[in-house]
Amino acid sequence: MNCARCLLRLQSPGILAASVRAAVRRTAQHQLSTVPSGITPHTTYSQTLRHFHGSTALSKSQAVPTDQEEKDKSLITYDDLFERVARETKTKATFNRVVDVFCNRDIRRRGHVEFIYAALKKMTEFGVEKDLTVYNKLLDVFPKEVFVPRNFIQRMFNHYPRQQECGVQLLEQMENYGVMPNMDTKVLIVQIFGEKGHPMRKFQRIMYWFPKFKNANPFPIPRQLPEDPVDLARLCLTRIANDLDSKVTVHQTPCSDITESGEEVTYPLIVGIQSPDQMELLARHNPERPVFVEGPFPLWLRKNCVYYYILRADPLPPDQKVELPYDPERSFYFPLQLDLDLDRDLGDDDSFDVDDVDEGPVFAMCMTSQGNQATLNQWISGLQENNPVLGLVPTLFRLEAGPAELLGVSDPDPGHGYRPGGAEETQTGAETEIVVEEEEVHPLSQRGKQ
Amino acid sequence: MNINRLMLLSKSVKFGKSLLTSNARHAAEEVTLPHRTFKTYGRNLAYAKDLFLGKLNKAECFPYPEISNEELEEINSFVAPVEKFFAEDVDSKRIDHEAKIPPETLNGLKELGLFGIQVPEEYGGLGLSNTMYARLGEIISLDGSIAVTLAAHQAIGLKGLLIAGSEEQKAKYLPKLASGEHVAAFCLTEPGSGSDAASIQTKASLSEDGKTYLLNGSKIWISNGGFADVMTVFARTEVVGEDGVKKDKISAFIVERAFGGVTSGKPEDKLGIRGSNTCEVSFDNCPVPVENVIGEVGGGFKVAMNILNSGRFSMGSAGAGMIKKLIEMTAEYAGSRRQFGKHLSEFGMIQEKFAVMAQNAFVMESMAYLTAGMMDRPGLSDCSLEAAMVKVFSSEGGWVCVSEALQVLGGLGYTKNYPYERYLRDCRILLIFEGTNEILRMYIALTGLQYAGKVFTDKIKKMKKGNVGVVSEMLGKRLGEMFGRSRDLGLTGTDGVVHPALADSAKKLEQNVVHFGSTVESLLYRYGKTIVDEQLILKRVADILINLYAMTAVLSRSSRSISIGLRNHDHEVVLLANTFCTDAFFKNNYWMTQLQKNSLENQDENIKKIARQVLEKRSYICSHPLDRTF
Repeated sequence: MNCARCLLRLQSPGILAASVRAAVRRTAQHQLSTVPSGITPHTTYSQTLRHFHGSTALSKSQAVPTDQEEKDKSLITYDDLFERVARETKTKATFNRVVDVFCNRDIRRRGHVEFIYAALKKMTEFGVEKDLTVYNKLLDVFPKEVFVPRNFIQRMFNHYPRQQECGVQLLEQMENYGVMPNMDTKVLIVQIFGEKGHPMRKFQRIMYWFPKFKNANPFPIPRQLPEDPVDLARLCLTRIANDLDSKVTVHQTPCSDITESGEEVTYPLIVGIQSPDQMELLARHNPERPVFVEGPFPLWLRKNCVYYYILRADPLPPDQKVELPYDPERSFYFPLQLDLDLDRDLGDDDSFDVDDVDEGPVFAMCMTSQGNQATLNQWISGLQENNPVLGLVPTLFRLEAGPAELLGVSDPDPGHGYRPGGAEETQTGAETEIVVEEEEVHPLSQRGKQ
Repeated sequence: MNINRLMLLSKSVKFGKSLLTSNARHAAEEVTLPHRTFKTYGRNLAYAKDLFLGKLNKAECFPYPEISNEELEEINSFVAPVEKFFAEDVDSKRIDHEAKIPPETLNGLKELGLFGIQVPEEYGGLGLSNTMYARLGEIISLDGSIAVTLAAHQAIGLKGLLIAGSEEQKAKYLPKLASGEHVAAFCLTEPGSGSDAASIQTKASLSEDGKTYLLNGSKIWISNGGFADVMTVFARTEVVGEDGVKKDKISAFIVERAFGGVTSGKPEDKLGIRGSNTCEVSFDNCPVPVENVIGEVGGGFKVAMNILNSGRFSMGSAGAGMIKKLIEMTAEYAGSRRQFGKHLSEFGMIQEKFAVMAQNAFVMESMAYLTAGMMDRPGLSDCSLEAAMVKVFSSEGGWVCVSEALQVLGGLGYTKNYPYERYLRDCRILLIFEGTNEILRMYIALTGLQYAGKVFTDKIKKMKKGNVGVVSEMLGKRLGEMFGRSRDLGLTGTDGVVHPALADSAKKLEQNVVHFGSTVESLLYRYGKTIVDEQLILKRVADILINLYAMTAVLSRSSRSISIGLRNHDHEVVLLANTFCTDAFFKNNYWMTQLQKNSLENQDENIKKIARQVLEKRSYICSHPLDRTF
């Protein structure tokens, strides 16, 4: 199983990009022509595994090295098939058409494994990587009942390993994109690989873990983020604040206006959040001590990164902390404290010894589409309406460089985006994983070439 | 090895015993000292507080307080016309429906003198004692709206004047209040302040000439607020403290509506006691003369506390009066309705309801009149703890009983054709007002723990330091308890105060009291002053104490009635008293087991966790049983 995966990893990037493809091709040739002397164990395994494969297409290509061209051609054909059909638009409909074309072309579905691999790679391009029906349709490409083991020996050994591996791979991709299989998937798998094949096991594992993980996040993010930047900011701010009392204020909605002189002025979006507790803290803040506007701080929501700013103060030095003295005339009904010289017994002290780092209070937070001082000043003056003390307190701006705009989901503008980690705009978490794998593979294939 | 251990154990028991006897001698000395003071200065012992030390101050509660024959005749002469008035002239259904007490009913009450029951005769009141007030309360409680109106008038409204008013103030206001010409109200609660004095916003600022205070602010949920002519109002005043620093302190004022600047809001639409008037009262630059301050300026907190603490004891008799009436009405139905050829009264589950009601009424009465009697004794008495216990027990018992009575009637009880639903609505307020039961439980437990803590501090400190003598004494005591040595606190036997027919119950009470004392000690050992934050523990401590006090009251009352041969004393003694005591004994034991360290019965941690998770989300967080994940 493991070796098979290695093989796939080796193969997959090859199909992905043209340049890499060439490299892989050369590697493959290299592997076939030379004795595996300086090659890593991975490649060795993969090669031995290849000998076990039962698919006619592959055994042919291995037996006669000159057939390599043909095999490549066939790969290209499937890639090409997608490219050709979907030259103008890459949608679910066109993707389905490609699959239909493949299914109708040959009653025997010759080369369906390669086709499915190619299709899996293309799914993101067509934007169907999270569509269960498409996965089911792809699974439907497999011929039925051919790969179901019929006797105990077949059941005992890996029956049609390449096909099973392909099925597993398909399920794995579903897993990576968080697509939960349904009853149709199960029926298809049973029809194709039987009740106890590897794909069935994979299916069962997914069905065991997915429901368990589905609600594991106590702070679920909606699948579809709101497109309106105001709503998005609202979502983000309430998510950070985690206080049901806090109130979101839209200080300014984004709009553009034309002044008398004919200049176009755009007013940036400012959305702030503050809870009553924070207002109380701010009201009690010593006006001689400054408050700071800091930011931008990143916040990731699925594949979007947004930025927020905070209004905070430094923690009080220990000598300035005033604890309210106990007032015996506070409660009309019962004493709030006991006048006793006894402390809690050590055996009943369940508290942990935690080193508390004294952090300063955070008074408010905001998100804006333009993180400059002028805009943030507007936010502060908006806050001043409910927090009059801000008029007396010196406010310092400690802004870090870097464009930090609140971008709606709908306007992915790579020019603006400062993206930490170098992740691309359209990348999802699952894809990042693949990217990492690719990077790992590169040196490997390089080594193979040498 | 085992034999060795046994030897050791037996040795330690002996050692413990010797220590114990010596300790007992010490204790006896300790007790005798205050006893002497008791004789010379009158009463300053507190029964309930001493229970926290595992002591039973039998002189306090035994024998059951009695009133003289003349007093009994006097009270009966008051009771008869009041009973007649409530039976004939009070239409509770109409009061409830119209949400107003008709003026003629109010006038009738005034003529009977019910607006000044406790106002001294020299000011035109009836000048009745607490016991007599409790007796009248039994009848008045038959209509919740009237009871609350009268209680707001005299139990809290004018109580400030009685407790802390000057002679001039009393002479000026009490006569009109006692006759009912003026109605009083008590204005403490504010929108932002229930029991928290620090958040009282109403301000009284002294005018420039220093002769009047200007009152500004608003008070909510004021009973009688719509028509009261004289109000006891609490407001912040600026007071220069001893250290010369100006401080905001609470003062109590007598405010007449005639002073001007007083406005009342719309009456609240309530669940029960609909005939009583509850509304918001606002003060806008209301001028109050300086001489209308009750007590001293800045001393309002104490006044408020005293008023609140003294007003509660009558709720026990009120609850009992209501239940007695309900038993009569319900029993009639149960005796006449037939199902399956049998009367309802022949079914076990219906019978149980009547037993519960009778028992509750019996215990409430016992507690209420014991407390009233203690309060009536000469000398300064502080019965606030006992009064709070009476209030908690009777309000909860009353709620259960009314609900059971309604249940006997089934669907009929749920309709407006019968008064049960009105009683149910009316008596729900008992658990809430005059200090919610939760807050009173805190008061009961913390007052006692404070008292016990003072006594136990030295001992616990020595124990924590590992003083061999104290530790082994403790061990001996524990072992003694473990081997079931019965503790004799003197309720039975030669100097006994409890009738032999109740000896078993008395033994149970003694055992509970001793166990409670050691439980309190171990709680103080474990939590020290941080026990303030352990509300679930405090709740149990309060519940145990309430049960102990109830057992005492029941035993005391039954012993008296069996000794002087009151009618049906066998019913009272053998059945009610013993049943209640046994029941309470087992409940107490269960609660005290829960209070032990690492007790399996104690679920507090889980309870807190559940509540925390729910409150974090502010909703019920479980998924729906029909939800699916795939």
